[in-house]
Amino acid sequence: MSKRAGCPLRTCRAFERMNRISAATEADIVEEVQGARARRTAFEIVGAGSKRNYGRPISCRDLLDVSSLKGIVAYQPEELIVTVLPGTPVVELEAALAEKGQRLGFDPPDWGPLFGSSPQIGTIAGAISTDACGPARVRYGAVRDQLLGFRAVNGLGEAFKAGGKVVKNVTGFDIPKLVCGAFGTLCILTELTLRVFPKPSRERTFAIRDIGPEEGFALLRKVWASPLEATGLGFCADSVVMRVEGEEGPLAEKVSMLKNLCGHHALESADGEVFRAIGNGDAFLKSSKELWRLSIPPSKAADVVARIGASLWVGDCAGAILWLATNDLQMVREVAGAAGSHATLMKADAAKRAALGVFEAEDPARAQLTRSVKAAFDPLGLFNPGRMWDGV
Amino acid sequence: MARSADIIAALRTLVPDGVVGEQAGLAAFDGDALTAYRQKPLACVLPRSKDEVSAVLAFAAAHNIPIVPRGAGTSLSGGALPRADGILLSLTRMNRILEVDLENRCVVAEPGVTNLAITRAVEAHGFYYAPDPSSQIACTIGGNIAENSGGLHCLKYGLTTNNLLGVEIALAGGERLVVGGKAPGADGLDILGVVAGSEGLLGIVVEATVRILPKPPATRTLLAAFRQVPEAGQCVADIIAAGIVPAAMEFMDKRCIAAVEAHCAPGYPLDAEGVLIIDADGIPAEVDDQIGRIGEIARQNGASVREATSEAERARLWAGRKAAFPAMGRLAPDMLCMDGTIPRGALPQVLTRMSQMAEEYRLGFCNVFHAGDGNLHPLIIFDVMKDDELARAEAFGAAILRLCVEVGGVLTGEHGVGLEKRELMPTMFTEADLAQQQRLKCAFDANGLLNPGKVFPTLSACVEQGHMHVKEGRLPFANLPRF
Repeated sequence: MSKRAGCPLRTCRAFERMNRISAATEADIVEEVQGARARRTAFEIVGAGSKRNYGRPISCRDLLDVSSLKGIVAYQPEELIVTVLPGTPVVELEAALAEKGQRLGFDPPDWGPLFGSSPQIGTIAGAISTDACGPARVRYGAVRDQLLGFRAVNGLGEAFKAGGKVVKNVTGFDIPKLVCGAFGTLCILTELTLRVFPKPSRERTFAIRDIGPEEGFALLRKVWASPLEATGLGFCADSVVMRVEGEEGPLAEKVSMLKNLCGHHALESADGEVFRAIGNGDAFLKSSKELWRLSIPPSKAADVVARIGASLWVGDCAGAILWLATNDLQMVREVAGAAGSHATLMKADAAKRAALGVFEAEDPARAQLTRSVKAAFDPLGLFNPGRMWDGV
Repeated sequence: MARSADIIAALRTLVPDGVVGEQAGLAAFDGDALTAYRQKPLACVLPRSKDEVSAVLAFAAAHNIPIVPRGAGTSLSGGALPRADGILLSLTRMNRILEVDLENRCVVAEPGVTNLAITRAVEAHGFYYAPDPSSQIACTIGGNIAENSGGLHCLKYGLTTNNLLGVEIALAGGERLVVGGKAPGADGLDILGVVAGSEGLLGIVVEATVRILPKPPATRTLLAAFRQVPEAGQCVADIIAAGIVPAAMEFMDKRCIAAVEAHCAPGYPLDAEGVLIIDADGIPAEVDDQIGRIGEIARQNGASVREATSEAERARLWAGRKAAFPAMGRLAPDMLCMDGTIPRGALPQVLTRMSQMAEEYRLGFCNVFHAGDGNLHPLIIFDVMKDDELARAEAFGAAILRLCVEVGGVLTGEHGVGLEKRELMPTMFTEADLAQQQRLKCAFDANGLLNPGKVFPTLSACVEQGHMHVKEGRLPFANLPRF
């Protein structure tokens, strides 16, 4: 397939001059996409718009607002699944789950403030599209592990579904995985079915203060490799922080096992909010430097921290996720590449994001496949053109 | 190209000592565990390296020859059924474990490594690989990725896709891509996510990096016997609603219990209408807490509950469950094994409807399934020599799968679509849904050379639908437990 998913014809307008189109139903979206096809104009797709500054800058004439498609369609706690409309605020969904003692396993962080937006307004489709995972991912897995099925409108203006509404779901290609972290470049999500997890009634968070990266990350990996099933394994401000969960009796046993694992290090009780701060990137709210988020083999964490030498950094998921503030952009990509990891430029001004790219540059074979996949969903390049790479 | 002989000769230059071209030799490769279908390939190639795989794919692309990938050939859905005009690409000689990385909790393996070999490589260090399809002693990791295989423990620990960190794939033209790796999360679009479970239609996995888990220090097993089948279904729903995710939760009905007791006497109560075998694993206090609550919920649903008091008894309870398939095979000359998934809450309703259907179709059947995740494996027994029993069995089987979709479920659980269920895909998916999937296929393989004829319905299809046909109780790999 050599169809080019290029940038459509009339784009490149300033945001304030954008034409905002609100869609209230899937049928509205089908109609809008068909109109856009006829006109050959692209959309920027937004829910709450809280993460519009994440990804490469795009400028389209039209902005498609899907935030009115919101609400829980079906929630059956005993099935461990919930079906929601895309514009449902994450906080509303989490509150509904919490009422039944359940949670989203990927632990979506609130990145709104990081990108200059209000807190707590982000939508579930926004979290899924940006692969926004928080600290509990270390135990429950990422967005991709929990999106079981969806409905959407593709770039041909057709409504379609993929996946299913059961926890074990393997019929046909697993397209739900593909839309996670695709930044809205493939299709416009109109309904989402997620796996949810029971939330144990208690949790305890502990900190080990004044510990170096080498020793601290080694300790986090030791706990990660134990059967404790920790739901938080972070590193910030010279402290290792660890969270375990369970019912009363089992939790006491986990705490005692955790103490044994940590040997001579003193465990202090800590506030569980520290994990919310790690997930949200709070440490970087006031930083003027560029912000990177690296996904790395956990054993490389201390080495990568040392090589990059950033004064401000935070570790998550036993070292598999590193947040770093530094302006030395080329060096970050070099160190990351050498460590078998990928680096995402989370926060930088639009010109830098456009020039340097937000995601790793792809080698020619991968780039060609990415473009073919894009074209399989959105052959005219109508959706968020250029958000991930040029033409995608 | 003057076909067969020239193709075989050319392949021999690409993969010396790794090409089977003689009819006698090819008989060993004429199908997989969907035994109703047999077809010899044009040639079977057994590469030993990634480069040889690429060379074969490039050759096939240049000459427009279909490729059917194959691991151990244990597929129950015909995913590895060869084509007369195609090359069968067997990955079983690529069977080395390349790296055990305990620090990063992963294993890097060639595609022909067996599922169990991965656990064997790390168990001395206290780790294991979680997906455990019952054919794990023989099935390969490459095949597991293609089918997104499950097993007894996937409600708690996920399917293959949830335990896969990265792959290197060879695309249709032979070009290779590394996707994912030891770092978590997608490096761009989640290509890894769609390759898993793509049944060999998107690319050939030539290397895989999989996650290993710390072995749980404690496991306890309960046997709950029910007087009514719907009570067992309700019990499953109540356990999940109580916030417990058991490591395994398996159901067998009365007919199955009788068959298994006659076969290997695991000690199930013969007067029960159904039993649940439930495992809890984790740290000891958590396992004790969960087993206590599970037992209570089962009793509230009218069950009599027994716990395995020794490792030997635990093994015996599970041996009975794993023997369900061969045990049923003794009751009738022929059997169809279905595979579908339903929302767990629909279990009581579906079990009742299936009993009614059995009367309508005048056939014996039994139910075994992974109750935790609603993955049904109904076994329909019949005698192909009698009247229209085969036709009725097929109709019954298709009706069961339509029922799965009707109650909100899906056509497969863990056997894949393959050849077996492709005609039923429109039951679940609209034309637009299927067209989207096929466009994705085209993005990877524009000429349709990778495993053509599988997964998607075609106009020329003439296959039986939605079942595995077992003749005279003879199974391929008869010594392997099933599901």
